[in-house]
Amino acid sequence: MAGMLLSEAEKTFILRGAESNFRVDGRKRLDYRPMELETDVVSHASGSARLRLANTDVLVGVKTEIDTPFPGRPNEGKLEFFVDCSANATPAFEGRGGEELGTEISNSLSRAYQSSYAFDLSTLCILPGQQCWKLYIDILILECGGNLFDAVSLAVKAALHNTRVPLVTAAAMDGAQVELHLSDDPFESKRLDVSGVPCLVTLCKIGDHCLVDPTAEEEVCSTASIVLAVSENAFITSVFKAGVGSFLPQTLHETFKEGQEIGIELNEALKAALEREEKEREDNEKSPAIQRYGFLK
Amino acid sequence: MDLISDQGLRLDGRRPNELRKIRCKLGVFNQPDGSAYLEQGNTKVLAAVYGPHEIRGSRTKALHDQALINCQYSMATFSTGERKRRPRGDRKSIEMSIHLRQALQAVIKTELYARSQIDIFVEVLQADGGNYCTCVNAATLALIDAGIPITEYMVACTASLANGETPLVDISHLEETSGGPNLTVAAMPMSGQIVLLEMSQRFHLDHLDKVMKHALRGCQEIKAVLDKAVRDHVASAGAACNWEFKTD
Amino acid sequence: MLTTKTFLKKTKRGNILKIVREHYLREDIWCGSALCDKCPMSEPVLSENPESASELFSFPHYIVLDTCVVVHQIDVLEEKTLCNVIIPQTVIEEVKHQSSTIYKRLKDIIGNPGRNFYVFVNEHHMKTYIERQRGETANDRNDRAIRKTVAWYQSHLASSQSGINKSERVQILLLTNDGKNKELAAKEGLCVASVREYIQSLVGCPGLQDKLAVTEPERDGNAREYLFPPHLPPSLIHDGIKSGKLLQGTFYASRENFLEGHVNVEGQEKMILLQGHAGLNRAVDGDSVAIELLPEDQWSSPSDIVLQDEEDDPGDILDDRTEALSASRAASSERIPTGRVVGIIRRKWRQYCGILQPSPVKDTVRHIFVPAERKIPKIRIETRQSEVLASQRIIVAIDSWPRHSRYPSGHFVRALGPIGDKDTENEVLLLEHDVPHSQFSEAVNACLPKLPWIITDDDVAERQDLRHIDVCSVDPPGCTDIDDALHCRFLDNGHVEVGVHIADVSHFIRPGTALDKEAALRATTVYLVDKRIDMVPELLSSNLCSLRGNEERFAFSCVWEMTREARIVATRFHKSIIRSRAALTYEQAQLRIDDPAQKDAIATSLRELNRLAKILKRRRIENGALVLASPEIRFQVDSETHDPIEVEAKKLRETNSMVEEFMLLANISVAEKIVEEFPECAMLRRHPEPPVANFEPLVKAGHKLGFNIVTSTGKELAASLDEAVLPDNPYFNTMLRILATRCMMQAVYFTSGMLQPDEFFHYGLACPIYTHFTSPIRRYADIIVHRLLAVCIGADSTYSDLLDKRKSHALCHNLNYRNRMAQYAGRASVALHTHLFFRGKVQDEEGYVLFVRKNALQILIPKYGLEGTLYVVPKKGEVATANFVYNEEEQTQKCGDVTFRSFDPVTVQLSLDRSNLQHEKLVLKLVKPVIPGFSVPSSDEPIPMAIDEQDGGKCKDGSVVDTVSQKNKSSPSKKKRKK
Repeated sequence: MAGMLLSEAEKTFILRGAESNFRVDGRKRLDYRPMELETDVVSHASGSARLRLANTDVLVGVKTEIDTPFPGRPNEGKLEFFVDCSANATPAFEGRGGEELGTEISNSLSRAYQSSYAFDLSTLCILPGQQCWKLYIDILILECGGNLFDAVSLAVKAALHNTRVPLVTAAAMDGAQVELHLSDDPFESKRLDVSGVPCLVTLCKIGDHCLVDPTAEEEVCSTASIVLAVSENAFITSVFKAGVGSFLPQTLHETFKEGQEIGIELNEALKAALEREEKEREDNEKSPAIQRYGFLK
Repeated sequence: MDLISDQGLRLDGRRPNELRKIRCKLGVFNQPDGSAYLEQGNTKVLAAVYGPHEIRGSRTKALHDQALINCQYSMATFSTGERKRRPRGDRKSIEMSIHLRQALQAVIKTELYARSQIDIFVEVLQADGGNYCTCVNAATLALIDAGIPITEYMVACTASLANGETPLVDISHLEETSGGPNLTVAAMPMSGQIVLLEMSQRFHLDHLDKVMKHALRGCQEIKAVLDKAVRDHVASAGAACNWEFKTD
Repeated sequence: MLTTKTFLKKTKRGNILKIVREHYLREDIWCGSALCDKCPMSEPVLSENPESASELFSFPHYIVLDTCVVVHQIDVLEEKTLCNVIIPQTVIEEVKHQSSTIYKRLKDIIGNPGRNFYVFVNEHHMKTYIERQRGETANDRNDRAIRKTVAWYQSHLASSQSGINKSERVQILLLTNDGKNKELAAKEGLCVASVREYIQSLVGCPGLQDKLAVTEPERDGNAREYLFPPHLPPSLIHDGIKSGKLLQGTFYASRENFLEGHVNVEGQEKMILLQGHAGLNRAVDGDSVAIELLPEDQWSSPSDIVLQDEEDDPGDILDDRTEALSASRAASSERIPTGRVVGIIRRKWRQYCGILQPSPVKDTVRHIFVPAERKIPKIRIETRQSEVLASQRIIVAIDSWPRHSRYPSGHFVRALGPIGDKDTENEVLLLEHDVPHSQFSEAVNACLPKLPWIITDDDVAERQDLRHIDVCSVDPPGCTDIDDALHCRFLDNGHVEVGVHIADVSHFIRPGTALDKEAALRATTVYLVDKRIDMVPELLSSNLCSLRGNEERFAFSCVWEMTREARIVATRFHKSIIRSRAALTYEQAQLRIDDPAQKDAIATSLRELNRLAKILKRRRIENGALVLASPEIRFQVDSETHDPIEVEAKKLRETNSMVEEFMLLANISVAEKIVEEFPECAMLRRHPEPPVANFEPLVKAGHKLGFNIVTSTGKELAASLDEAVLPDNPYFNTMLRILATRCMMQAVYFTSGMLQPDEFFHYGLACPIYTHFTSPIRRYADIIVHRLLAVCIGADSTYSDLLDKRKSHALCHNLNYRNRMAQYAGRASVALHTHLFFRGKVQDEEGYVLFVRKNALQILIPKYGLEGTLYVVPKKGEVATANFVYNEEEQTQKCGDVTFRSFDPVTVQLSLDRSNLQHEKLVLKLVKPVIPGFSVPSSDEPIPMAIDEQDGGKCKDGSVVDTVSQKNKSSPSKKKRKK
């Protein structure tokens, strides 16, 4: 991150910590920091989620729009990612400063979701060849405390889980135009199947070891990192390497294995959290006002 | 549509002189020097303040006797009903940024920080009318949280005229777009001075006075709410040190 | 307390938006009852002791109404019997949404303090607000909200009435007709009754039961049900047409009946009839549609009644009006193929002029737009400027016609000006007839020659110098674009030389230039009563091309040598320079001919020309040319205000006929010449023979009075028309000729290569070949003919487009279209000025019955050339003052001992009905023959009435006029007979 200045001593400290499996904040190499997740924060969006990973704060909103499918793929909907690095995170992101980082993150997400195992686009089709849903997934990065990829992907998965797509009860052609009949019952809406949606796991190499969930300081120290997109059922949908450093093939292999295990755990933890939240919400449905904390907690 | 029903209620059930529900929190983030979150009805805004710090970019912009105030107004793409393509950089956002700066520069004691820069970044998470006002109010809270000295609160409020005779305070997006006149006022409530005044559509000069008074009264009420929030925040932050609160 | 309401909204572009609104719940909403001691209301609306008039519910009670009760039983509610009623906010919002007229009536009732109607804002009351639950429809939720309101009121008032004994306590009664609602209410322990039960139990109001609406249609879940069947997608339409299952054609709406229209299928002679909302299925006049023929037992015949969509917006429902159409289930011989629209191939939507019909609910943005053209349905638009626009003519474009909407939706384009203002109306006329009337562009003006224009020696070398010949022109008074001039001189060999000199426009308008393109687009000069929309800029039309008196001008001459018996010996064409000696009017020329004292060259030429012309005319009539009549009128226009002063029918003099004959001769000669040289791409004009069916009304009408009109050939038709004379009714023959004119087809331009030579025939003139050559200043076709002829004589070069058959054909298409539109525009302008003329006047005029219809008489007034409708059967909602019996066999209307037949003379009183601003109507009332209770006394002299004294629309017999709608048949001439 820009604006992060570390002295040599600090860098050595971090290096040693990584070697001895005891990091600056007391975690082991493969431990995650505590996370807070809340969904349905932005009421204007069809689905939203906010994730706090210690210092990293990410807000994701999903909006649905009606669009025509690509001619070559008439049965599929569309998915579009947009990452906006807000200037709230650091003044360097003012104006177009955060665009580079934003494009990098959105590209990696698109790559991760490209596989049909990750997200089945045919569920977004309304009328083959004529109309389909297009989901705009907008990610707002409010604070950077390291490990953006993971946080963003977790928040996106949570937001997709929370998304309620309006239910189309009838779709017919009237001449050359499509007529849609939507259900006006707010409880009747389409849920998206996020079981295959991957989570990105960043493993950054400090010295000879790979660390999971690096803080901002640790990120500055590392030379290279691998980002894996791992889904619930242990599929790896995309892999890429970031940074200027290099990996030996052997390290790569180990890293992948570790990453995969961590990915599966992460997915499960997220799923459990989401289900818990949903159940709580349902229980609270009887009471008139549903408490949403948003940023107020 | 009727902005005021025959029973004297607005579309969302408020009376013409009632504000929307305001909820706020100071110190939301750690990274910025000061941050605040403010909700006015369904309009939600996050403000972050960085500074005073050295001038970024070209040194020539530095003012020798006061601090440079830099504001940025940005809307999240999912904040409006229809998705926005660009969060910032379009003409409206730049205009809002300039207005923000105009309002805040009036209260910040810039003479204390010569040759430095204070950044105020405002992010609108949800837009439902009165975006500018919420931004100004949130920015004030953020400034207070950052500890930057200000002469007094800077509060903004909107007002409108329904059916050509009844003034409404704190209008929502639906009321804004119904075609009636909109008046936005940013004022310093304690001294009663108006820093920014903006009006669209048209109404008769006779009504201007009435609507302005309503808007200013709205500012007073908002200031009361903000003030309470600040005091609560400070009290809870200092509870560990046993700070006492003298009411004066 | 704050909650949120979420719902989905569809945007115009088809996107779905999620809308979230705040919803505040209050604690300061009062119950409005005088006997409540908890609510601090200053002026309670509901009275303290409401008396009960019901036997069933004898205790004092307040009534709570359900939505459907309000919507369907509004008549009952308007009666003064029901008082002390609580209307929950839910109900009033739903009513507003469903029907704006009922909402307005409800608001009027509420506003009346004597009725004690109270609106309870239950949606914002803390205790009575409910949220929709899982599995509940929107209607269920609203019902539950209403029941909750009732329950709350019950408990709220109970505490204030603890001192009173139970049987005298005020209770709350819910009135609903919905079975499910009633059941649930009863289960919850609320007092509930159906409206019928309640009203029947009321003592002392017998008339109320009659007002109960009998039919209770099923409560529709959504008012947005589909009213029309869907259109097939383009691929299915294409397949259907290929396989022959579906037919393709253009849809023409009927002007009189908005639920009827027909389709002209290519290749089929008969028109296919379309009837009813489902049959028309959202087709708009002019659209290219795909139709499916109904089985023969469902065929129908055109209805002969006039049906207009008069009502205020009834919402998105369709009323069947089957009674209107079922009357037309005529004998099977009269049935014609009927079909229904299954898809739209291409929409021909354009921008429409008209006025706004403001919605009765104020503060709404949705209004109805009524187009000026009756064939176009009303359009829904949204605008905030309804007050400003209500008095203006506006232009609206249609966007789409969704299935669930009764009318298409569109948007406002721009405003033209105040309604009724002459300039605005002129503008509307021109726009509606697609007449290009903007200023000539810079590019066009750049093509004009620079002044001063002089004739150079080169020009003289290229042309025949005829400046020594005594040429003169004869035109209507005030004519500035003189395109033809004549001369006649005696030759030594006993023959005469006759010359027709036409303005050489093609010299100035070179092919391919901007000027040429603009002229080709405009195709013709449009003549309105007070304005002329020129085809070419004035510099050419009124100056350089115009053969002005005593000026040297370029001309294209057609010179014949003919015998004294008008037999042509030789024909020559050449480009020339002439100097017209005089530009005479018809009257002046006639005077010169008639005055024996005039002996100069011009007078002698005119006399000889006149003599020859008579011979030519006789010869033509012997060949079978038709002489028809149409009621043509001219307006005398006040020079200051350009308001019409007086109307008179045009007079035809000998000189008119003289000029006409020679123009015809020239046209024929030129036609023969260009076809010789260019058999493939000559531009000619033909008049197809009308099919026998067209003549039916004429033959029938003649037959009634014992005349046999033979229609097999033009000659026989002309002969039988000549014979059909009634000595005691001199106008009868003219009327027959008017009817004959209406049977004619349109004369059209065509390219010679596209048709067989025997199809070149011009029926009306009875000549085998014809073209337009003599008016290039005001017709583009003539310019093309000039160019072709110039090539024939070697005076000009060709260009590729001239020889391209296909391009020529396309050009003819445009020319025909523009000509038609120009005619309609001219007629509409005459109609407009007629209306302007009749503003503030009431006059008696002589007229004749032209047709007898089932519910009206068509009256022709020769003096003004007007045709109007005298209704004998009253319109909806009016009482008949005299009983007319229609006899279809005899085609008569009989009242008492007075019988009306075709061609009977009558006297009618004319006045202007300005109640419908867009369609000012001339009102006809019968003066003679006198029918007590129906006819009106005559006004001896025209009494100018003040405008606001005229009570439009409330005439006893409701007679109305829509002027001169001569339906697309052959044209009346403007200056000369144009065939």
